Amino acid sequence: MNSHMKDGQPVNEKKRDFLKIILSGGVLAFIGAVVYPILAYLIPPKEAEVVVSSVKAGKLNEIAKDSGKIIKFGTKPVILIRTANDELRAFSATCTHLDCTVQYRKDFGTIWCACHNGKYDLNGRNISGPPPRPLDEFRVTIQGDDILISKKA
Amino acid sequence: MKTLLKKIYDWVDERVEIQGLVEYMGKKYVPVHPHSIWYYFGGVSLFLFIIQVVTGILLLLYYKSGEELAFESINFIMSKVQFGWLIRSIHSWTANLFILSAMIHMFSVYFEKAYRKPREITWVTGMLMFFLLLGFGFSGYLLPWNELAFFATKVGTDIAGVVPVIGKPLLIFLRSGEEVTGATLSRFFGFHVAVLPGIFTVFLAIHLLLVQRQGMSEPLHISSKSERKTMPFFPNFILRDLTLWLLVLNLLAILAVFFPWELGKKADPFAPAPAGIKPEWYFLYMFQTLKYIPGKLWFLDGEVLGILLFGIAGLLWTVVPFWDHKSARGEQNRFVNYLGIFAVLYIIIFTIIGWLA
Amino acid sequence: MKIASLVFILTLLVMIVPCDNAAAQDKCLECHQNSGDKPSELFTHDVHYTKGISCAGCHGGNSGTDDMEQAMDKKAGFIGVPKGDDISKACAVCHASSEKMKSFGSSMPTNQWENLQTSVHAKLTLGGKEHIAQCTTCHNAHGIVSVKNPSSPVYPLNVVKTCTRCHANAAFMRSYNPSLSVDQLEKYRTSVHGMRNAKGDAKTAECASCHGSHEIRSAKDIKSKVYVSNIPGTCSTCHSNADYMKAYKIPADQYEKYSRSVHGIALLQNHDLGAPACNGCHGNHGAAPPGVESISKVCGTCHALNAELFSSSPHKKAFDERHLPECETCHGNHEIIAATDKLLGITPEAVCSRCHGERQNAKGYLVAKSMRGWIDSLDSEEQRVISMVNDAEQKGMEISEAKFKLKDVRQARLQSRTMVHAFNEEKFIEVIGNGLKTTAFIAEESNTAIHEYFFRRIGLVISTFILTILAVSVYLYVRRLERNQRRRDHENSHI
Repeated sequence: MNSHMKDGQPVNEKKRDFLKIILSGGVLAFIGAVVYPILAYLIPPKEAEVVVSSVKAGKLNEIAKDSGKIIKFGTKPVILIRTANDELRAFSATCTHLDCTVQYRKDFGTIWCACHNGKYDLNGRNISGPPPRPLDEFRVTIQGDDILISKKA
Repeated sequence: MKTLLKKIYDWVDERVEIQGLVEYMGKKYVPVHPHSIWYYFGGVSLFLFIIQVVTGILLLLYYKSGEELAFESINFIMSKVQFGWLIRSIHSWTANLFILSAMIHMFSVYFEKAYRKPREITWVTGMLMFFLLLGFGFSGYLLPWNELAFFATKVGTDIAGVVPVIGKPLLIFLRSGEEVTGATLSRFFGFHVAVLPGIFTVFLAIHLLLVQRQGMSEPLHISSKSERKTMPFFPNFILRDLTLWLLVLNLLAILAVFFPWELGKKADPFAPAPAGIKPEWYFLYMFQTLKYIPGKLWFLDGEVLGILLFGIAGLLWTVVPFWDHKSARGEQNRFVNYLGIFAVLYIIIFTIIGWLA
Repeated sequence: MKIASLVFILTLLVMIVPCDNAAAQDKCLECHQNSGDKPSELFTHDVHYTKGISCAGCHGGNSGTDDMEQAMDKKAGFIGVPKGDDISKACAVCHASSEKMKSFGSSMPTNQWENLQTSVHAKLTLGGKEHIAQCTTCHNAHGIVSVKNPSSPVYPLNVVKTCTRCHANAAFMRSYNPSLSVDQLEKYRTSVHGMRNAKGDAKTAECASCHGSHEIRSAKDIKSKVYVSNIPGTCSTCHSNADYMKAYKIPADQYEKYSRSVHGIALLQNHDLGAPACNGCHGNHGAAPPGVESISKVCGTCHALNAELFSSSPHKKAFDERHLPECETCHGNHEIIAATDKLLGITPEAVCSRCHGERQNAKGYLVAKSMRGWIDSLDSEEQRVISMVNDAEQKGMEISEAKFKLKDVRQARLQSRTMVHAFNEEKFIEVIGNGLKTTAFIAEESNTAIHEYFFRRIGLVISTFILTILAVSVYLYVRRLERNQRRRDHENSHI
């Protein structure tokens, strides 16, 4: 016994409409749920890129002669030095004694660690105090105006 | 809405005359019988291919090829790009599900002997696509340039180099050099996004056209009966296919959220290989087999023997429509069945052994 | 008459028999004494002489005959005046053999020659033919007496003179080790050890006490008694011996305290050669406890920043006025343990409360209270963001940049503990402020990561909901479609 025949049109239509409504709604929601992530994906993030084997350390005019600054290189701090003779050098900024972060001391003319008065010369060699090893050196290259720091091969 | 669609249809039809094609498509039927369920795996494979193309193109917008940047760019996609984690994990999971689905599709076709006349070309193009698929998997795996991938590629291309005569040139061709380097990465990238998709699409087009032209094959023992139930391909089968596709999509989303694809450590060619390195599961049974073959058999290297065996097996499998004459005649072929069962069991058992090792 | 002759003969015999002793045997000595040469004069005071050893005992030959050719016959083993290493080898013939030493009733050690050969004094002379130091260099040749004999050149009060014969001679030392200083004696005489030694105290330390006697090695040699990580042990040989030190009325627990201290653990357990041993604060040859007002300079050779801040802080003047020993006042001297935040503040265990109270030196009381409050807040913030970062990491979220910034927080913490020594509230708050800015950043990043984690899961639930509804409705639609198709087919078949 076919129920739709007995009950006539109205019930059939109601069922059809309900299902069609759910179906249409479902299709629209589905399209939204697919399109929204794709559109969000296409919007470029704030930082253009994260690059860890070489890092842009700023522009030449951002670091003065006879000064140093600390740069983030992946997960490690690196100290970039511009000597009074206008040479650019970069070293690991983690002191080889007990891992404090070193700094450039203009008055000493050396790299200095505040924790136990360790000193490194401007070639990264440990020259005074407790540090047992020199600082690892990084490669500095200039691309136009930009300073690029990368790992030494 | 309907009138608008009809207007567009008429506009196109006046210029391209698609009415004939549409009528033809409307007449396509799909047999309905207890084995009908296997019909869906072709569609699922196609769906997964489409997913790969879409997610692949999206990844292409942020991926940077090259030793210095590949790993970092994927890290970037996973962490900084909105929904990047989702796109990437779906792409990696789909690759595996695609191969699995293709294997199920291939074996179901095999056991149903659907490769028999007149569908020999369909089978061959399908097998060629399967081999291309493995190439997709192998080349794509290297693109993140992580530790696992680096060593897996090293081992895999080493094995390719063992093939007699052409092995060494093949190895250099694949690696773009003697060793696995950034050059290999660039080459694999080219394979993965241009060469393989191009060739694959050609075979896919032939495969789909043939399926549409010839319709679905019916199992032997059923076509011998007189009673035949069918359903229209459009809209019934399509809508059922779609339902399944939605469930597969949901599965992918769940996998991406709860089992995100790992990135691991960046490849370091100078570091030693991590312990227990093994290829992805779809290569595992071959890898494990090679381990069991003794170092030297008569005058042949064990590895060479292993590769030759698999090569010959693959070749015979690909040309089965041409040597299985019984099925072409409509007869049951027990040998083919036993061979197939052996192959399935072998693959499953050796994959498990390889996994546990 | 017969009895008298018998007695005379007996007496002669008696005289002869005792002459069967060394003197009678040692014809060499007799002859050489008669010719009046210095060595034989010295030798009669020699300990070897009293043990019955003749000249031939070292020089070889036959000491029983007064015939020169026989006595000094090479075939009888005569070696003449040994030169260079032959000297020490001659000594070693007995002194390196425990049987020989026992046979003379001596329990002296027998490793001197062996030790000397591995010591720094085994270097070859400029001529290249012999070691720099032979046994006789320090012990003399013929008047050798026991080290306990005040006339021995190696008696504690005489050691300094013996060593400085070479080591205070700048021209001589320059030809062997130009960078080795030659002012040790000068410095030593300013030290407590040197001053007491000059006054005749044989118990106090002299060169050999610290450097050893035969086995002297360069201070850079890890086996040397004065290699930096061995120095505490060397000093404590005397300074931890309570009985030995009783007369000097100073404590004997420094080594014990030192080995519990940060410096002791760093040097003795972690082999951090940058950590000070006793000489790092007390000096080497000029060893003396640093003066009250110079303590911060001494500590400041390594803790430069703390010393600088302290010297320009209000505490410098206040401490000097009260004769308080600067750094030691709060940190101790030998038992310096890791300074924790508990040292700062107004609680009973804080050192500030020793002088500062609510009603006495109240300004300092308020500053101490404030600084402790600030440092505690940085500490707790650091703990909080560390656990947030860990949480985000555990959830599998990308948090490496925030994790990197944790280094900066650690740096701020270290800097603030250093800045305490300026005892200046404003400067202190500035340093802490930087740390708190960083922790705020880290907290924000961690929160974002954790929210993302939940966002994904909620997003999944919503997507699953949509997909399920859609799949179910498509399926129902298909079923309905097929029902309608079957109905139509059924109808058509009836027409």
